[in-house]
Amino acid sequence: MAEEEKIFLPYIQLPTQKGNELSQLKLNTVFRFMLYKKNAKTFLVVTALVSWSLLLANVLLTVESVRQGGSTGGVLPYFNNFLIIVFIVSVFLYQRNRTTHLKSNDFFSYLWNLFSRAGIGAYLAIAIYIGYQLSTSSFGLQSPLLLHIVYQLNFGLLVVFLAKAFYIWRQLLLYHKNKFLQIAWDWFEILIFSTLFLTFLRLDYTSYIFLPLLALLGFYIVFLCTNLKWVAYLSFNKKSRSLVVLTALLMSCYIFMRFFYQLANSPELVIDYTDVGFLLLVLLFVGAYCLAAFLVSLFSLPTSSVFEQKSQDLLSFQRLSQSIQQGQNEAQVKEMLFDSAIKASDAEAAWIEAPKGQTLQLTHMLNISEEQIERIRHLLLAYEISDVEYLNNTLNNTPGFKELELPWKSLLIIPIHSKKHQFGVLYLLKDIEYGFDRDTVNVLNTFVNQTTLTIENLRLISESLMNERYKEELKIASTVQENLIPKTFPSDSWFEISTHSRAAKEVGGDFYDFLQLSESRIAIIIGDVSGKGISAAFHMAQMKGIFHGLMQQDMPPSEFMRQANSALSRCLERTSFITSSLYIIDYRMKGFVFARAGHCHTLYYNAMMEDTFYFQTEGLGLGIIRNKNYSSHVREMFYDYNPGDVMVIYTDGIVEARNAKNEEYGEDRLLFMLTQTYHLEAEDIKCAMINDLIEFTGPDNLYDDQTLLVIKFKADQPNT
Amino acid sequence: MAMKITNEIKDSTIIITLDGELDASSSVVLDEELSDPEIMNFSKILVNCENLHYISSAGLGVFISHLQRFENAQIKLIFFNMQDKVRNVFEILGLDLLMTIVSNYDEAMTIADE
Repeated sequence: MAEEEKIFLPYIQLPTQKGNELSQLKLNTVFRFMLYKKNAKTFLVVTALVSWSLLLANVLLTVESVRQGGSTGGVLPYFNNFLIIVFIVSVFLYQRNRTTHLKSNDFFSYLWNLFSRAGIGAYLAIAIYIGYQLSTSSFGLQSPLLLHIVYQLNFGLLVVFLAKAFYIWRQLLLYHKNKFLQIAWDWFEILIFSTLFLTFLRLDYTSYIFLPLLALLGFYIVFLCTNLKWVAYLSFNKKSRSLVVLTALLMSCYIFMRFFYQLANSPELVIDYTDVGFLLLVLLFVGAYCLAAFLVSLFSLPTSSVFEQKSQDLLSFQRLSQSIQQGQNEAQVKEMLFDSAIKASDAEAAWIEAPKGQTLQLTHMLNISEEQIERIRHLLLAYEISDVEYLNNTLNNTPGFKELELPWKSLLIIPIHSKKHQFGVLYLLKDIEYGFDRDTVNVLNTFVNQTTLTIENLRLISESLMNERYKEELKIASTVQENLIPKTFPSDSWFEISTHSRAAKEVGGDFYDFLQLSESRIAIIIGDVSGKGISAAFHMAQMKGIFHGLMQQDMPPSEFMRQANSALSRCLERTSFITSSLYIIDYRMKGFVFARAGHCHTLYYNAMMEDTFYFQTEGLGLGIIRNKNYSSHVREMFYDYNPGDVMVIYTDGIVEARNAKNEEYGEDRLLFMLTQTYHLEAEDIKCAMINDLIEFTGPDNLYDDQTLLVIKFKADQPNT
Repeated sequence: MAMKITNEIKDSTIIITLDGELDASSSVVLDEELSDPEIMNFSKILVNCENLHYISSAGLGVFISHLQRFENAQIKLIFFNMQDKVRNVFEILGLDLLMTIVSNYDEAMTIADE
């Protein structure tokens, strides 16, 4: 044991000393138990062998002393019985330890195991006995010693057989046990072992005091023999093989019985094992159970195919429902349905067709030609049977089918579809009338439903995987778009600019940009593409390109709008449009010029007049009219700024933001915010406005992209 | 929140009543309505905006996309009973210069009959 500890302990590494001790303790217990079991087995085998040998020796000694005319002696029979009991108990306990659990439902192998390891002993016993008879008759020598050895050997074989059979029957008997049955068995075991005391005390069990008790035990045995649930789980094939093995086992019982009762009360023998009531009872139990199993197997043989079919259906169903976890695809699931349906219905011919585009495609076929399918399909179309469940058990009486001269007489059609999708249609044919009963149709329907469910789930899984991929791609698009928006504006001493932008989805349609036109002039553009998401994002990128492309040529804002409209007219889809405002600020002239193309009005604070207002200019959005008339719809406006003036440029996501009551933030509130904050730095004005907006809408309530730019003009001239 | 669109036909005039919010999803329905080839048989399309509480850019896009087609077919598109909030959206975008927006039904009918 110490050695084993050394081997195993290094693998258990626990951080605390206490834990270590604890695990060591547990390991010790496990080892002790394992060793105890192993030792117990060895001990039992040794005990059995020793007691048997002693018994043999004692018997032989007795024979010798009897032959020499001596008496058997008073103590010897007690000693013999003691040895018998020790032998029986050790063999039984050994078998009890060996057969603990049914490892699988392969009951036939248990029966075969029993026969090949123990049942064969009977045949061996009879062979030994016949061998002994032959040798005595041919050589004419009478040897009581040899007879006793044969008798003793056969006794050993009997006990081994009984012990093994007893405990294998126990396992079978307790298959699918309940609590009551377990208790009943435990009591049976106790009672039957207690009969060994009769032997020990040398009481004759045949005396009428014990007979009622023994009769009761007999009834007990009959009751136990009714527990044969395992027989139902044998397939037809296994059942017939089991019948053969059970017959052989019954024969074994009979041989042992015959052998020991023939030699019972024989004057040649000094010992008689029929006196051991325990053996008789166990033999009775083993034989009775064997007989019961044999009869039940025999009579359930004709119905076993039904049970087999049901369990096959169940298995098919299980396979269908587990196919998702096994990562199968649609074709494999349909293949499984096809096989299961054919097995469940016993159909002679079958096919599955699945829609592929506009046409139907044959995916699976069995014992049927495409030409026959075409003819049947044609007929069904004429009957207007499609996409409905259809059962015809008398094809040869149905006009139309009769003329087709098909070799089949029953037809079952089950469509495979969910509420939304059509996955295919299953056709089954049988060459007998009324080939599909209601039970079969129900089972098939269950299969088809499960298949539908499985296919739907498979599609959902692949869709969600696809979505995952789209999300990844959107993330990339989002990064790309973020890079399109300038992070930093040129910092100059004559103005401050602060920006805010938030997209409602991964990618948005709002944008702003700037371009330094000359040393003293800068162009700032803001825009909003109608709609949200990917298409808006594309147009936004396009607009940025147009801005940089056109403004390289330095043109007035109205001309820019006209050209941008013309450029966008060619590429914007019919329902899309873009609103935009372009500002060109000239600090040397202390003024700016701007044009508004359908974009939100510009909010302005004039420091000289101490007035806050929106510029009310006309201007049509881009892409709304796509001809040369556009230039008449856009106006330009010049304005001279004063130091301390504040200009607020934004998109409709700001003023149209809503709160829980579905009220809009509105231009008025934005204007009010500016009257409260114009004296602050651009950054602080922006923060105040955004905070007020969030306070109004509440957090996480973003429906449209929001962009806000705050520009504050300053008195300082740039250092030149 | 959903949009309800009802039609009323008077001789050569079709009156479309918009009830609710014209957002991205309801504008699809409106687009189908306006894309109906039968609508080209009318000489006037009156849009009652009395109960139109909100119009999104997608909703505006629908009208814009059909504007040129109606103009080419000499079909008059007239909006009436428009709420200030919605009218503001039309004005900001400059659509009030392209489309006829009048205050009430009678006015709409007189313009339409011109």
